[in-house]
Amino acid sequence: MRGWPLVLTLAVPAEAAATLALPGTVAGAVDASLGGEATGPAVLLGAVLLAGAAAGALAAAAGPACTADATVALRSRLLQHVLAVGPAPHGLPSGDLTSRLVGSAADAGGAFPARLGTFTALLTSLGAVVGLGVLSPWLALAFFAGVLPGIVLIRLFLRQAGQVFTRYQEVQSELAARLTGALGGLRSIHAAGAEEREAAQVLGPLPELSAAGHALWSTQRRTVWQATLLVAVVELAVLGTAGWQVASGALPPGALAAAAGWAALGVGFFEQVEALAGVAHARAGLLRVEEALARPAPRPGTRQLPDGPGELVFTEVVVRDGGATLLGPLSLTVPGGRTVALVGRSGSGKSLLAALAGRLREPDGGSVLVDGVRVDELSVPELRRAVGFAFERPVLVGATVAEALEGAGPPETRAAHADGFLALLPDGPRTPPDELRLSGGELQRLGLARLLAQRPRVMVLDDATSSLDLATEHQVTRALAEATRGHTRLIVAHRAEAAARADLVAWLDAGRLRALAPHAELATDPDYRAALVGTAAGHLSNLPPGHPSAPPKVR
Amino acid sequence: MARHRESTRAPGWALLASQLTSTRSSLIRVLGWSGVEALPALLSGLLVSAAVDQGFLAGRPGVGCLWLTALGAAYAVRAYAARAAFPHVAAVVEPLRDALVVRVVRGALARPEPDPAAVARLTEQVESARQLTATLLRTLRGVGVTLLAALLGLALLAPVALLLVLPPLLVGGHLFVRLLGPLVARQRAVVLADEQVAAQTGRAFAGLRDITACGAQQRVGDAVEAAVRAQGTAVRALGRAAALRSLSVALGGRLPALAVALAAPWLVHGHWLTTGQVLGVATYLLQQLEPAVRTLAGTVGGWVLELTVVLDRLAALPVPASAPTAGAPTDPADPTDAGATVRPGAAGPAVRVTGLRHAHGPAAQPVLDGFELELAAGEHLAVVGPSGAGKSTLAALLAGVLAPQLGEVSIGGVRPHELPGPLRARQLALVPQEAYVFAGTVRSNLSWLDPEAGEQRLAEAVALLGAAELVARLGGPDGVIADPAALSAGEAQLIALVRTYLSPAPVVVLDEATCHLDGAAEARVEEAFAARPGTLVVIAHRIGSALRADRVLLLDSGRGLIARHGDLQVLSPLYRELVGHWLGSVPEARPEARPTAGPGPEPQAPVRASVRPRS
Repeated sequence: MRGWPLVLTLAVPAEAAATLALPGTVAGAVDASLGGEATGPAVLLGAVLLAGAAAGALAAAAGPACTADATVALRSRLLQHVLAVGPAPHGLPSGDLTSRLVGSAADAGGAFPARLGTFTALLTSLGAVVGLGVLSPWLALAFFAGVLPGIVLIRLFLRQAGQVFTRYQEVQSELAARLTGALGGLRSIHAAGAEEREAAQVLGPLPELSAAGHALWSTQRRTVWQATLLVAVVELAVLGTAGWQVASGALPPGALAAAAGWAALGVGFFEQVEALAGVAHARAGLLRVEEALARPAPRPGTRQLPDGPGELVFTEVVVRDGGATLLGPLSLTVPGGRTVALVGRSGSGKSLLAALAGRLREPDGGSVLVDGVRVDELSVPELRRAVGFAFERPVLVGATVAEALEGAGPPETRAAHADGFLALLPDGPRTPPDELRLSGGELQRLGLARLLAQRPRVMVLDDATSSLDLATEHQVTRALAEATRGHTRLIVAHRAEAAARADLVAWLDAGRLRALAPHAELATDPDYRAALVGTAAGHLSNLPPGHPSAPPKVR
Repeated sequence: MARHRESTRAPGWALLASQLTSTRSSLIRVLGWSGVEALPALLSGLLVSAAVDQGFLAGRPGVGCLWLTALGAAYAVRAYAARAAFPHVAAVVEPLRDALVVRVVRGALARPEPDPAAVARLTEQVESARQLTATLLRTLRGVGVTLLAALLGLALLAPVALLLVLPPLLVGGHLFVRLLGPLVARQRAVVLADEQVAAQTGRAFAGLRDITACGAQQRVGDAVEAAVRAQGTAVRALGRAAALRSLSVALGGRLPALAVALAAPWLVHGHWLTTGQVLGVATYLLQQLEPAVRTLAGTVGGWVLELTVVLDRLAALPVPASAPTAGAPTDPADPTDAGATVRPGAAGPAVRVTGLRHAHGPAAQPVLDGFELELAAGEHLAVVGPSGAGKSTLAALLAGVLAPQLGEVSIGGVRPHELPGPLRARQLALVPQEAYVFAGTVRSNLSWLDPEAGEQRLAEAVALLGAAELVARLGGPDGVIADPAALSAGEAQLIALVRTYLSPAPVVVLDEATCHLDGAAEARVEEAFAARPGTLVVIAHRIGSALRADRVLLLDSGRGLIARHGDLQVLSPLYRELVGHWLGSVPEARPEARPTAGPGPEPQAPVRASVRPRS
């Protein structure tokens, strides 16, 4: 142990020792002054006071420093680990992880000061009682006579307050739920000019919250007044006993000051109930951090990507969830530079297969190769040169849009048809992503620009244009075809058109490969058409009768 | 530093002060009981001194115990006062919490966009404001009064000791006040650093899949790690400031005892003080004064700062002015009668837009620029265009939710954004993509825009829009929707559409309000709305919407092109391409010149468009 923890380990007990010595030295100084002699005891008192002050100041600086060091270390470890583990299901859900890094790690960081503080405080209380006992066993006896009922009182309070507090929290979450609902319909509320009415609707449970709050106060009121009385009884019992002893000459007058001081320190034991809760808090925090750290992180490889056309091969891949097989065993080869569309009903394993290509998910069996090298043997930068993704709902991470787009410049944003609305941003590319008010389609175009900037050999488009309105999708698809020419493409497709544009369609059914053929060959199968939207049965049904609906063209 | 503190500190405390004025009488009672609670602090030294001098050292321990019993009585009074003060503390704190909750909810609903932090504000920040205010009321005032009472008791018992006590106390107090500025600044820095860590981590972890897919682990890890380290640095700096504070507290709280101890032999020898008085002074200094100083400094340095920061956050929330009196006819055009019946079609255009301009930010390119539109009463318009062309912005401007930056919007002869909300809603009903369904009965949801809608009309509308099955499944009009999130997006949209159909507004704007319905259901809904008396604007999600409309508005790069569907196909290659694409086949764009974009041709008499797309 070194640095701040060492300072804290020395300072906290030193301060406690000074506190504990104080009543005794005061008694000595009082008796000495009554004897009208030497200033020695007064000097001793001064030394105790100053030592206590110095130790207190050191502890005040060392405590937060220890907490900060431990918190930073825990957070950094957790952060690196979470980034290495990657997204769910390998890692925990993101909201959960955030609360562990923000809340639990901070709680756990305070563990050492909390433990040291509580332990020392308990020792101080114990020492004070010993001090009383040394002065006279009667004093210690008087102390215990008062303290024991107090312990019963505290247990009683914790139980009652617990029930009332639960009720309070329930009403609180009811309010929060109503506000969340109203925020979801905010545009409707504004359009209807119903802000006041809906505020009243959300605030419906407020009187009940107020009632629960008042109930909490009345519980606390009973306990506080009993506890105050109890402390007074303990202190006075000790003081009275000490007075009797002084009167009988068994103790010097200064002992009165000592007895009063130690009785107060001894009663301080009650305040440690809260501190004990703090220690429990820290332990729970540490457990939650360790739970997240226990998730195994996939090991990054070290190999380089050899030259090649970007051939993507799945060999006998299997993905399981507990006992159920979600995907496979399945083998599929996407020839370099060609486009394969993944088609299938929802739940057939399209996105799962796509995720395997870039190690967003590890297969439970089989292997994935790009140009003959297993993707789990590639180093992280090489893997990203090999395989890139665009998603249905991309998440932009970074302080600015420019940063979040991973270096996408004007050519990429233009190709993704994102340049138009990027020009409308208040601060251009320096706008923080949080401040963007983007539609799903605009977000998808940014996701595509980000993929284009990465220039991987294999591009995986996982439903990446689904939120574009049809006009924009058409434009983007065309531009994208231009920009990604020569790259291998794996496309999760819902619309017949996208399937028609691909060289081959991999038709997935219940996690298995049902067929691998061009769209035109499969299109005669009604089962296949049912897995797509936009075929004859889809959106044309609402055309007025007699409309010459054209079947999807196949190139 | 001090100036900075003052300027940033004001809003939170001003908010607190304004909320507390309404509970002033309870506040005064709390302070009154505090005075009573200070009784032991005032008497302890005097009574201990008497117990020693007249009792224990005079050989009459019974008398000494009597004096101590008197002290016990003072403690009992204090305990009773603490008990008596509680209801008044509750009477201050609970209304404060209520007021803050109301403030947060009204503020959140008044914002143009949903604020994700609003819910946290409602639960966490309001709760800490409540807790901290209560703690301060119970501790700070008690300790402050104790300090004064102890000094007063000391002055009564041994004025000479006061001379030794006051100088170090004042020096310590002065130092503490001087140190408060840096302390506040550092506390604030810690709070901001905490928020940074939470925000950066939340964002990064929400994007884990994307970070992994882009190989951005290093970049994002470095950024978050920097925030984590900055937080650690801020906490350590706060610790150093707290150490200085602790020294100043020791100076004020402990030096007086030392001064008295050093002078005591001389004072006792010169008969300035008796034994009992020395013990009494020790009681005041060590049992009352020192703990009070320590708590006071700790409270001000900790809880007050926390409360300051929380209150500032809550005060920064914009809150709408008080609600206008419901139903007050404030509009000169008197739109109240517009609610009852739809106006006859002849009297001027139902919707007129002239020279409209709107940009999302001062530096941004406008999404609408010089936009014009005129719709006759009873007309049915479809709006199409690429995403980001300003369709939803136009809808918000028509509904008066947004005020025009330039130009004018007029609905039935009035500017919608100048009307108070409820009146505005009687002129124009806007249905956005995300339907609003709240927990409550089906009836209260359906009659949300027209509380007077009768049973008959309600049933008709439900049947007409194809919602009968849904309403039956929910238990009829009196069935309760307990959890609106359990409805599918399409079901929620149906409820919002029935509600809007029942609205008295003569103009209805559907902003992709049917996007979660299937094609047949969408057609049924739009036909019902087209047959409803009044003007209909549909922002189209599918081609069917354009085919059903009298005229089609194509929005692209700031302006609009308006024509009948067939004419628009001739006029605009973009529209042709769009329609072709919608129909599933993509005609190659012909290299013919596109007509100049701008206000469309003269409005034609509403004609149901003939559907004959070219291919």
